[in-house]
Amino acid sequence: MIWLIAKKDFLLNLLSVRFIIGFVLCLLVIPFTIIVSVDNYENQVRVYKIEQAQADRELKESRVWSAVRPTIVQEPEPLSIFSTGIMTNVGNKVKIAFWEYPLFPSGHTITRDNPSLNAFFSIDFSKVIAILISLLALVFSYDAITREREDGTMKLTFTGQVSRISFLMGKLLGLLLILLPILLFCYLLACLIIVVNPGISFSASDWGGVALLFLTSVIYMMVFLLLGMFISSRVTHSSSSIIISLLCWIWFLFLMPNIATYLSQSISKAPLYDNVQAAMNNYDDTYYKEYGEEWPRAAQRVNMRGLSYNNCNGDGVEYLELAGGPRETPLFHQQMQIWSTPVMLNNADKKWALQRDYLDGLMRQQHLQQVIAWLSPSELFGQATDALCHTNANCFLKYMESLRNYRESLITYFKDHKLFESISYFTGQKLEDFPTRAELDAGDQDAHRRYERGNSEFPYLDTSGVPRYVPQPVALSAALGDALGRLCALLGLAIVLLVGTIVSFMKYDVR
Amino acid sequence: MLQAIDLTKRYEDGNLALDALNLEIKPGEIFFLLGANGAGKTTSINIFLNFIEPTSGHALIDGIDVMENPLETKNHVAFVSENVMLYGNFTARQNLDFFARLGGKTNLTKDDYYNVMRRVGLQEEAFERKLKTFSKGMRQKVGLAIAIIKDANNIVMDEPTTGLDPKSAAELMQILINLRNAGKSILMCTHDLFRAKAVADRVGIMKEGRLVMLRSREEFLQDDLERIYLDYMQEAILE
Repeated sequence: MIWLIAKKDFLLNLLSVRFIIGFVLCLLVIPFTIIVSVDNYENQVRVYKIEQAQADRELKESRVWSAVRPTIVQEPEPLSIFSTGIMTNVGNKVKIAFWEYPLFPSGHTITRDNPSLNAFFSIDFSKVIAILISLLALVFSYDAITREREDGTMKLTFTGQVSRISFLMGKLLGLLLILLPILLFCYLLACLIIVVNPGISFSASDWGGVALLFLTSVIYMMVFLLLGMFISSRVTHSSSSIIISLLCWIWFLFLMPNIATYLSQSISKAPLYDNVQAAMNNYDDTYYKEYGEEWPRAAQRVNMRGLSYNNCNGDGVEYLELAGGPRETPLFHQQMQIWSTPVMLNNADKKWALQRDYLDGLMRQQHLQQVIAWLSPSELFGQATDALCHTNANCFLKYMESLRNYRESLITYFKDHKLFESISYFTGQKLEDFPTRAELDAGDQDAHRRYERGNSEFPYLDTSGVPRYVPQPVALSAALGDALGRLCALLGLAIVLLVGTIVSFMKYDVR
Repeated sequence: MLQAIDLTKRYEDGNLALDALNLEIKPGEIFFLLGANGAGKTTSINIFLNFIEPTSGHALIDGIDVMENPLETKNHVAFVSENVMLYGNFTARQNLDFFARLGGKTNLTKDDYYNVMRRVGLQEEAFERKLKTFSKGMRQKVGLAIAIIKDANNIVMDEPTTGLDPKSAAELMQILINLRNAGKSILMCTHDLFRAKAVADRVGIMKEGRLVMLRSREEFLQDDLERIYLDYMQEAILE
């Protein structure tokens, strides 16, 4: 009986205008969305390659260890074609510094020739699916019960050997049979565009992610199908059912996410970064003050008459590169370096405590937003797809954590190789090559020649032993684990709606 | 056989739609249940078809209690409604096929469907036409074909002649006579006194949920059925 009713509903819907409209809509929207996403991804890859080459070149062309501050460029996530998550709102590169812990990336991930056009490319595949499939599911299911009653076919159906549960299950199966091909078609079309594009390479894990995305979409579709059927089982007229269904749709897709964001911002206040920055500046001011106090002591230790340079580059914070000048200058800087390195690293730790509190505040707010948004199936779906596509906040935080760990490994390397104490930290010139004051005062021509030396005269460092950042690919199981809570919540919601529909339909007046 | 034993239905709003109805429709009998709107005719049908539950009493179909074995009783009864709508995007044959299968008839062939449609007087060219193009009379014929193909012992009809042209109504009556002759019990709720006089074996008049009059064919042909009916209606209006 279930199959008979399902087949009937499938055939009737297949011949309906709404099926044709839904199918054509998918045919228009999905390729366009995927083509835009693919184009965006390819642009990101192009930018990534350029910036990665530049970062490699910078590292390779370092002449002093104070310049060895690798820039980590995040490789675009192939699955971001399906769901961009928060990745479009954060930068793509981080310069590893010892002065501070990496907190947020800089740079940009969305690259268009005209930046003002970026706003028009914000809807990705998962958002389109969230909007389109939920709407189609409601459009197909809002009158699943009411239409049969209005047409009088329900009475005739129940004169046959059909139980109410069989009728409902048949209806649900029929709707699934009609909507599943549309959903499958959307995914196959997206996969086809990806497969035929030579610029995109998906791993087996990525394809596994796509399969899980499809499964998530099926559950999401079920939720809205059952929501439509539940509403249909609670009212007697299709006109009431469509109005309630559309109100629910607007509420879940457009109002609830904004309400969740507003409430999370109101309930859990995040600290202002300006305040954090001001507190960090205080630490820096203290550091500079102590640095200034150490200066004469270091100068006295190396009997420096006065600080003089011939060639000197620096950023005033970490990077210093000098050549030429009197020997007392590198000796002085070595002394300062020996003093400042532990103080600077300690200062970075203190600043990180402030930054971490700030980050925790942001994450508390974001977590609250996500919890409130669980009241909306479309938000649950969005969170699950972001997790499966490795583009959610959790993945981002893990990535930033791995960068901070990399910074630690880099510092350990510097310490183990005594690079902080070495004059090669800030000059490529050997110490004995710097002229002494006595040599200069004696008018030694060679000393004067060495005094005049420039940075570019020295070879690049051998950085082959420097630890490299190795991105940790997100395993499919890890992504599934991240999304599992949301998937279970969606599935639970579907079960609740199914039970609700059955209970409601048991009392439904079929006359 | 259809039996109502002290069948009572009081709706949630307090309205007593059926008041201890006792009725028996034997095999090979056409029973016309007459009455004004709200007299309880359709409520009786709804209980026999298990669309609503009685407050008390029993509805039996071929001796099986509708409330106790709802699915089993559905094997024994077919239904024709006032307005047969069916599925507009299906052809007459597809509609017939669907409802026949729901009724448990899974081994029927296309010829079986065509034969039954011929039997109810549907034109051949309409067999494979979508039902949305059908007139009300044609839809009623398909509805009747659905009831016939189910081959149940009992047929319940709720004002099936409403809106039919005289020719279609006459054809429908002839089909009822044939079904009666085949041993079916037929319960027909209607306002149509003319048809009742023409084909009914027994007639009952309902008023305020009670069966206030019951006449066999011999009795109502001797009496003036129209006068009796109008008297009861008049009383109802005056009350």
